[in-house]
Amino acid sequence: MRTNGNPIVRVQNLHKWFGLLHVLRGISLEVYPQEVVVIIGRSGSGKSTFLRCLNLLEEPTSGRIEIDGITVEAADGELLPESRARARDLRLKTGMVFQDFNVFPHKTALENIIEAPMVVKGVPKEQAVEKARELLRKVGLLDKQDVHPIRLSGGQKQRIAIARALAMEPKVMLFDEPTSALDPELIGEVLSVMKDLAMEGTTMIIVTHEMGFAHEVADRVVYMEGGVLVEEGPPDQIFTCPQDPRTRQFLARIIESGRLV
Amino acid sequence: MAETVLQIPPESDPDLAVGLALVRKARRIRLIETTKVGIVWLILLALLTAGLLQLRFDPQYVFRHANFVLRGVGTTIGVSLVSILIASVLALFGALGRLSRNPIAQGISSFYISVIRGTPLLVQVYFIYLGLPQIGQQLKALGYPQLADIFTLSEIQSGILALSLNYGAYMTEIFRAGLQAVGHGQYEAATALGMTRWQMLRRIILPQAIRVIIPDVGNQFIAMQKDSALVSLMGVWEITFRANRLARKDSKFIEMLLVAATLYWILTVVSSWLQSRLEKRMAHAYER
Repeated sequence: MRTNGNPIVRVQNLHKWFGLLHVLRGISLEVYPQEVVVIIGRSGSGKSTFLRCLNLLEEPTSGRIEIDGITVEAADGELLPESRARARDLRLKTGMVFQDFNVFPHKTALENIIEAPMVVKGVPKEQAVEKARELLRKVGLLDKQDVHPIRLSGGQKQRIAIARALAMEPKVMLFDEPTSALDPELIGEVLSVMKDLAMEGTTMIIVTHEMGFAHEVADRVVYMEGGVLVEEGPPDQIFTCPQDPRTRQFLARIIESGRLV
Repeated sequence: MAETVLQIPPESDPDLAVGLALVRKARRIRLIETTKVGIVWLILLALLTAGLLQLRFDPQYVFRHANFVLRGVGTTIGVSLVSILIASVLALFGALGRLSRNPIAQGISSFYISVIRGTPLLVQVYFIYLGLPQIGQQLKALGYPQLADIFTLSEIQSGILALSLNYGAYMTEIFRAGLQAVGHGQYEAATALGMTRWQMLRRIILPQAIRVIIPDVGNQFIAMQKDSALVSLMGVWEITFRANRLARKDSKFIEMLLVAATLYWILTVVSSWLQSRLEKRMAHAYER
């Protein structure tokens, strides 16, 4: 799938410091339209921080991010002034799905989905509702449209969160460990929605510990450790004959724990 | 919980029958306990009344003049209601200022809170009642009659201003805690969806924070009904002012103060009851 012309995401030499902690140490990555990139690595390797920098939930210390023509740049711990003004434009290019769902508890499933299109984009209500119902059907929750999140399971909440992000029609979907907070029996329903999205050609960057899913769905797998991208390649290569000893060690440990399907 | 259990029809399940019996028993015990406490209350009230009658307390006077004080209840409630509304608005902006990264907003709100919390309500009342007109006169002397008018307030306006300013500062903490009680993830989700800070506040954060804030604002309202007695010093014809006026005229202090105290007490009990109902109703909207 790497043949789709120019990259839609281009990250150059991204650094992030948290106080004295150097969490991202010069990350560069390009993602092409319709590509599914899965980032794996142990906790604390900077995967989530990297993902959160892409939509500026974390402000990078230095480096450059370009998504679909919107560029932001940071230097010396600050976004450049003209980049700060573009922060919202950049966010509108991305949709984010969080580990803890973060659905809005005071709104029904449908209201969760129509909120941002109406408030941020000014989409008329009927149109937003029509689109939301379409998305609810896609994630298999049309019958729950008038239900508040408290009455939904974790898997259902996460599917609402996915629909909510999709409603803004982002160019790239970012998934930050979308199944890590779920009971094991609920993981499948979320992964299956994500699989459908991949089949439809949604550009996705996914941080996950679900190696089986990564193997099956990813176009490219990236192994991260210590704030750098150690190795990347097609899933077959990464999972069967990783080149870097660090990748090998990580995967060996995961196979031991029985998580690699 | 007990209600939900009782709604299930007792079918053949033997466990259910046992559970129902236990729930009923627990309820019966609770009722008996409450009754005992109530009896103690009645005894205390009876003792108090007996004691007062020994002290040449004049019940006739109370019955004849209670109505005069009673007419102040509306004023007390009205002043408190308007003040709590204004105080809530002040507290919201105070909290936003405290949480803001803007140095001007932060400076103004922290200054306001520090000054108000650092001075007695009584001094604030005097300042507004006696100090503001002085400023007004000064302005008139300087040749700004329109500005001077702004500083010339009626008794009720002064009272409302004092209570609002004072409670607004204290309630800032309540609003700040309420805003911070909304999980960080909610801020992140709203930001990631491209909302501006104002959109996020209005659509996502405030509606959730209000649920945390409302019960505390209710408590403040109940407290304020009693603190509003201080504005009697400004000549607002509320409960305390009216009671005091008669008491001084006829030297019936115990009689009139008792009337005032009883009225405040009833107000508090009724408000507390209303508040607990409101809380229950608000909790209901979120429940499974």
